[in-house]
Amino acid sequence: MSDKNTLKDLLSNKMQRRTFLKWSGAIGVPVIAGGIGTKMLVDHKEETKTAKAKDTEKIISTCSINNCGGRCVIKAHVKDGMVVRVSTDTQESGDLSTPPLRACVRGRNYRNMLYDPDRLKYPMKRVGKRGEGKFKRISWEEAIETIASEVKRIGDKYGPESRYVNYASGQSWGLHGGKNAARKLLSLTGGFLNYRNDYSSGAGNVATPYTYGTNNTGSSFDSLLHSKYIILWGQNPSEMIFSTPYREYLMQAKKNGAKIIVIDPRYTDTAIAFADEWIPILPTTDNALMDAMGYVIVKEKLHDQAFLDKYCIGFDGDHMPVGVAKSESLKSYLLGEKDGIEKTPEWAERICGVPAGKIQEIAREYAKSKPAALIQGWAAQRQAYGEQFMRGGAQLACLTGNVGKLGGWAAGTGYWSRSDIVYPFSYENPVKASIPCFLWTKAVEKGTEMTEADGLEGTDKLTTNIKLIFNMAGNMLINQHADINKTTKLLEDDSKVEFIVVSDIFMTPSARYADILLPGTTFFERYDIGVPWCFGDYVVFGDKTIDPLFECRDEYDVFAEVADKLGLKEKFTEGKTTLDLVKESVERTRKELTPDFPSFEEFRRNGVHHFKYDSPLIGFKEQIDDLKKHPFETPSCKIELFSKALWDMNQQDEIPAIAKYISSWEGPQDPIINKFPLQLISWHYKRRCHSTYDNQAWLEEAAKQEMWMNPKDAEKRGIKSGDRVQVYNERGSIYIDVKVTPRITPGVAGIPQGAWFTPDKDGLDQRGSVNVLTSQRPTALAKSNPQLTNLVEVKKA
Amino acid sequence: MTTTTTTETLHIQLQPFFLSRKKYFQLLHLLFSVPATGELLVGIQNNGNLQELEEIHDGGKILRNFFEHMTAEQIDRENEEYQRLFIGPGPLVAPPWESYYRSREHLLFEEWTYQIREQYHLFGLQYKNENNEPDDHLLLELEFMIYLVDSCLQETKTDRLVELISSQIHFLENHLTMWIPYFCKRIIEQTNSQLYLGASMLLEDLLTFDLTTLLEVREALPDVR
Repeated sequence: MSDKNTLKDLLSNKMQRRTFLKWSGAIGVPVIAGGIGTKMLVDHKEETKTAKAKDTEKIISTCSINNCGGRCVIKAHVKDGMVVRVSTDTQESGDLSTPPLRACVRGRNYRNMLYDPDRLKYPMKRVGKRGEGKFKRISWEEAIETIASEVKRIGDKYGPESRYVNYASGQSWGLHGGKNAARKLLSLTGGFLNYRNDYSSGAGNVATPYTYGTNNTGSSFDSLLHSKYIILWGQNPSEMIFSTPYREYLMQAKKNGAKIIVIDPRYTDTAIAFADEWIPILPTTDNALMDAMGYVIVKEKLHDQAFLDKYCIGFDGDHMPVGVAKSESLKSYLLGEKDGIEKTPEWAERICGVPAGKIQEIAREYAKSKPAALIQGWAAQRQAYGEQFMRGGAQLACLTGNVGKLGGWAAGTGYWSRSDIVYPFSYENPVKASIPCFLWTKAVEKGTEMTEADGLEGTDKLTTNIKLIFNMAGNMLINQHADINKTTKLLEDDSKVEFIVVSDIFMTPSARYADILLPGTTFFERYDIGVPWCFGDYVVFGDKTIDPLFECRDEYDVFAEVADKLGLKEKFTEGKTTLDLVKESVERTRKELTPDFPSFEEFRRNGVHHFKYDSPLIGFKEQIDDLKKHPFETPSCKIELFSKALWDMNQQDEIPAIAKYISSWEGPQDPIINKFPLQLISWHYKRRCHSTYDNQAWLEEAAKQEMWMNPKDAEKRGIKSGDRVQVYNERGSIYIDVKVTPRITPGVAGIPQGAWFTPDKDGLDQRGSVNVLTSQRPTALAKSNPQLTNLVEVKKA
Repeated sequence: MTTTTTTETLHIQLQPFFLSRKKYFQLLHLLFSVPATGELLVGIQNNGNLQELEEIHDGGKILRNFFEHMTAEQIDRENEEYQRLFIGPGPLVAPPWESYYRSREHLLFEEWTYQIREQYHLFGLQYKNENNEPDDHLLLELEFMIYLVDSCLQETKTDRLVELISSQIHFLENHLTMWIPYFCKRIIEQTNSQLYLGASMLLEDLLTFDLTTLLEVREALPDVR
C-alpha cells in the first residue's frame, strides 16, 4: 500500500504538479485545432533499412564547379544518405602527366557549406520593398507560375531585349548550371539581351587580340620546366588557383633552376613560396615599368631584331602599316623621338616607384635569360587602362623574341587549351544584340541610349532598357559589380527592373534583391562534369552524392518546369535529365573528340580524367615555325605591336595603337590623390572563391577579412594592427579591421575582394566589401571593369 | 493482490499523468508549428487551457496575455517572426535542429541527427523527409515524444511501460534537454514576440519538469511492481 502512496504522492503533492495534472481532464487543444497536423513520422520502411547496409561508408567522387580556375577532386564519404566527411585526391604527386588534383582550404570546407543551417531551403517571394530583405515562403508551384507569367508578360510588353541573364559565376565550369538553363528558356520564348566578355580578364580579352589575333597566347604549364627566367606579373597562383596543378609545375620549374620574380604591390603568398625577388609597384603604373624595360632592352640592343622584323608590325619605322608615320613606331615612342620623353628607368621610377637600377636589372635579365616567360596575371588589367597592361606584356615578349619558343611565353591574356569535352546542353538566342557585361547597370538605366561607343553590338540601338533579370548563382547583381551604393539604388526602384529572380544556396547581398528567391543545390546534390578554366589537361566527374536538401532544386529542373508551364518542356529538356547530359557528354567526347576518353562508368569510378600529351603546347609555335602557312589571326597576319585598327579609332589618348603608359584617373598622378591619398587594390583571397564562401566560419578563421596597410601609412594616421578603420571615397564608405604590414607597398591599401556587403542600419558596410568603393567607369577600349583603380582615405573608426 | 490488479491500478493511476503530458507536448508542438492562416493560433486561444498555464508558469502568463489580446495583424507579424526565427531566408535566429547546437561547427546532419534517426527506427518510425531534411527538428522530436506518451497510454504491461518510460527519459536526457535550453535562450534573447518568448520559456521548463517527474515515476515504479 505504501508503494501506491508513493506514486500518488509523487503525482500530487506539489501544487505545480496538481495543476499540471488538471490538464488530463482539460479539452485537448489538438482535438479542436485538428490534431497536430500531418504526422511527419511515418512507418519505417524496413526494406530500405536492409538495402542501405547500415554501417558501410560509400566514397563518391565529385567536383565543385564554382569560378575557381582549378577543379579538384572532392570525395564525399556517404553513410545512410548523409555526407559524413569529405576527403580529396589521394593520388601521389611526382608524375606531372597526372598531377594530383587536391583540394585547398576552400575544398576542405565543403561539408560545412553543404550542411550549413543558413542554406536557402524554400522558394520565397519578396514581400517588403526590394532589397529590404523581407520574404515570404511560397510553394514551388507558385514560384514557377510567377516566373512563367513574368517571363511572358515582360517579353510581350517590352520585347525580348528587355530580358537579361546576369553575369554569374557560382556555377560556371560545368555542363548545365542556372545561367544556361535560364538562357535556354528565354531563347525558346523569343530571346534575351546578350552580354560579352567577363569581369576576370575583361580588358585583356579585348586588348590581346589586337596584338596577337587571339587570347590563346599561353603555353601548357609543362613548358615552364624549360624556362630560365619567369616573371609573374600581378599573378598570385598561391591564393588564386589558376589551375589546380599549376603550382606543381612552378615548383618544378624552380627546381630546374628558373629564377622567379614577382611584380606586385603586395608581397603575396606566391612571392613567399616561389620568388627569388619581389618587385613592389604602384597600381596602375605597370606600363611605366614595361615601357622602361623596353627602353633598356632597345637602348642596350638586347632586343631580338630578327624576330621583330619577321613577325611583328610596328616595332620600328621600317615596319609600320601603310599610311602611318614612322614616328609612331614603338621604338620611336620608347626613345622619345616624337614626344620628347625618353622612357628611361628614371622616368619610370618617378611614376611606378620601382628604383631605376632595379628596372635596368630586370630588363637585362629578362632579355638575356633565354628562354624567359613573362606571365601576366589579370589583376593589373582590372584597371582604368588595363588594355595597355595586357598589350604591354606582349610587347616585351616580342621585343625579347620569347614568342613561340619552348620555355618562353607570349604574355597577353594567356589562355591555353588543348583538352575539351562536348557540351550537349545548348541554346540559340534569336536576339543578336549584346552589351559588355560590365555595362549591365547602364543598360538598366539607359539601355535605349547606348551606342556602339558603349560597346553595343548586334544592333544600332536597343528597343528597351533591361526589365527582367535572372541572376543564377551569382553575386554580380550587387556585391561583385562596381559601386554597390549606385547599384542598390538602381535596383531598389522596381519600376526600372520590374522582375528579378535569384537562385543561390545562401542569402547573399544579391539574393536580397530578388523578387523570387530560389534555393539552389550544391554540387553534392546534382550531376555534372567539372572542367578547369582554359588551363589544364583534366576533367573531373561531378557525381550526385545525396539528394537535394530541403526544397532545394537544381536550376535545370526549375526551368524545365517553367518551360512546362509555357508548353515548352520537351523543347527545353529534349527528354534529358542532367544525368543524361553527363552521359551524353562522355559518349560524344569519346566519339567526337578523344577516342580514349573513359566510358561513363569508368569516369565515374576514377572521378577524374587526365588527357595525356607527348610534348608541351607552345603558344604560336606554328606561326613562328611557318608564318606563311600559319599566319597570325590579325589583319596584317603578323603580331601587331602597332595596331592599325586601334589607330583608326582615332582616340590616341586613351586607346593608343601601341601599348603605352597612360596616367590613370584615380592613379598616383591624379590630383584627387590630395584628397584621397591611398591607392586601393583588392585581391582574390585564399579563403574565398570571389565572393563564394564568405559566410563560412572555418574559412574566416583561416584568413580573416582585413585590410593591408603599410606601417608608414598606418603610422601617419595613428593606426595599429587590429584597429577598426573607415575607408572612404566619394562613392562610399566601409568599415574593416586593419593588418599593418610591410608586405604592401607604401601608398597602397589592399582589401581582399568578395566580402559580402553588410550594411548597418545607416547603410554603411561593416564587413569590408570593397566594391562600395569601386567605380562603374569602364575601361576605354573593352568597356570593362576597372575595379583595382581607386583612391581612398582611411581613418581610425 | 495479484499482479494483474496492480498493473491495472498502475495503468489507471498513471493515465492522468500521461494524458496531461500528451496535451502539453501537443500544445508545445502547436506553439512551434507554422502559424500560417492563424487557425492554429485561434485554436490555442479558444482551447489552450491558458488559465491553468498561467497558474503554473511565467511563460504561461506571457502566453495567456498574448492570446487574450491577439489580433489579425498580430498573426501576420507572428508569421513573419516565425520565418525570421526558424525558416529564413538567411541566417536563422534559432535554427530548430539539435545537431546545430551540439556539433562543434554548428552544422546540420551531424552525428546527433543519426542518433535521433536511430531512435525513430527503433520504434518502427521514420521521418517522411528522411535525408531531405534533418531528423532532429524540434517538431519531430516533440512528435516522437507524443508518440511515446501515446504508447504509454495504450500500454498495460508494466515491464513494457517501464521500458517506454526509460526511452522517454533517455530521449529527454540525451537529446531534448541537451539542446533546447540553448535554442530557447537564443529566442528569448532575440525576439520581441510575446508568443515565441512565452512558448520558449514554457518549452524549456516543461522539458526539465517532465524529465524530473519521469525519473521520479520510474523510481517509484519498481516498488509498485
